[in-house]
Parts: sequence; C-alpha cells; structure tokens
Amino acid sequence: MASMAAASTSLQARPRQMVTAVKCFSQGSRSNLSFTLRPLPTRLSVSCAAKPETVDKVCEVVKKQLSLKEGDQVTAATKFAELGADSLDTVEIVMGLEEAFDIEMEEDKAQAIETVEEAAELIEEILKAKA
Amino acid sequence: MVDKGQVISLCRFLLRAGRQYPDYNIREYAKRRTLDGFRMNKNLTDHSKVVDAYVEGKKQLEVVERLVKVYLAYPPKTKNIMELKLQ
Repeated sequence: MASMAAASTSLQARPRQMVTAVKCFSQGSRSNLSFTLRPLPTRLSVSCAAKPETVDKVCEVVKKQLSLKEGDQVTAATKFAELGADSLDTVEIVMGLEEAFDIEMEEDKAQAIETVEEAAELIEEILKAKA
Repeated sequence: MVDKGQVISLCRFLLRAGRQYPDYNIREYAKRRTLDGFRMNKNLTDHSKVVDAYVEGKKQLEVVERLVKVYLAYPPKTKNIMELKLQ
C-alpha cells in the first residue's frame, strides 16, 4: 500500500518536473527569438511571385519590341494594352520572350498573358518544370 | 464563323512554324510577312473577308510547314553574318 502510494506520488512528481522543464525550454527559446522581421528588399514595391531578374528581362524585351523610349515606365503590373500594344503586338512580344528565354509556351496559357507579371510568372513556371 | 482567338492562334502557329527554318533569310521573311499580313487585315469589318483571309492564312501555314521540311533537308553550311552577335 505504502509502496503503491509512493509510486503514485513519484509518478505525479515526474510529469510536473517535465512540465517545468518544457516551460523553461519554451521560455528560453522565446527569448532567443527576437521579433525583428527580415528586412524586405525595398526594390520590390509590387508583391510579385516572379523573380525581379525575370521581370527585368521581360521588361527589356517588351521595350525593344514596342520601341519604347528609355523614359517610359515598364513595371511588373503594366498591361501590354496600356503600352499601346494590340493583340498582334502581344503575340509578337510573347514570341520574343520565348526566344529570349529559349522556352515553348502553350497556346492557351500564352493567350491569357496580359501583364508583365503574368508573363514573368509563366516563364518561371516553365523554367522550373524544365529544370 | 471565325473569331479573334482563332486568328491569334493562326498567327502564333505561322510564327512558330517560320521559326524552324535553318536559313536566316527565309526565317526572317516568314516572320516579317506573317506580321505584315495580319496587320494589313487588322481592321477588316466585313466578316466574309475575314473568313477569306483566315482560309488564305491556313493555306499559307500548310505551305510553310511543307517548306520547313524541304529546307531542313538542305541546311546552310555556314552561319549568315546577320546571325553573328556583335563583338
């Protein structure tokens, strides 16, 4: 009887010890974790899923195809229609992008491209699938 | 009934087929001619004319694909100077 009581108390004591041990661990790790977030790169003003290098290369190809002057702004969110391109110009731009990146885009996906960002994302998807 | 998507697809097919030529001259010509041809008929309003142009485009696509096979049988031995990058 006494041994059983002793055993029960010892069993009770052990989990309490474990709990305190766990508490100490969490407290210790919390103090190690500082709440400073990683500084976001200030270049990316638009939340874009594509890499900036891809977006820059796409912008370059677009500028050359549409013969835009250096001062004209081409960012990730720019629609091709805003730059004065109609559907035929868009087809030409997409062909130019395919050649620049050495990829093949599917018909229906290529038809859906309307902004620089969509083009860059689709290009990265294809490059990832190729690798 | 020919809609815009079909026309765009035809343009894309023609451009893609023209890309396969090994000879620089005909490759550039195919690209230039398709874009010029589509731009010339861009503002057609009469639907029967649009259908005519589409049928013509389809015929040209067959021609291009046939010629690609012929040109690939006799590829040029040297690179054209226009294809060399400026150093």
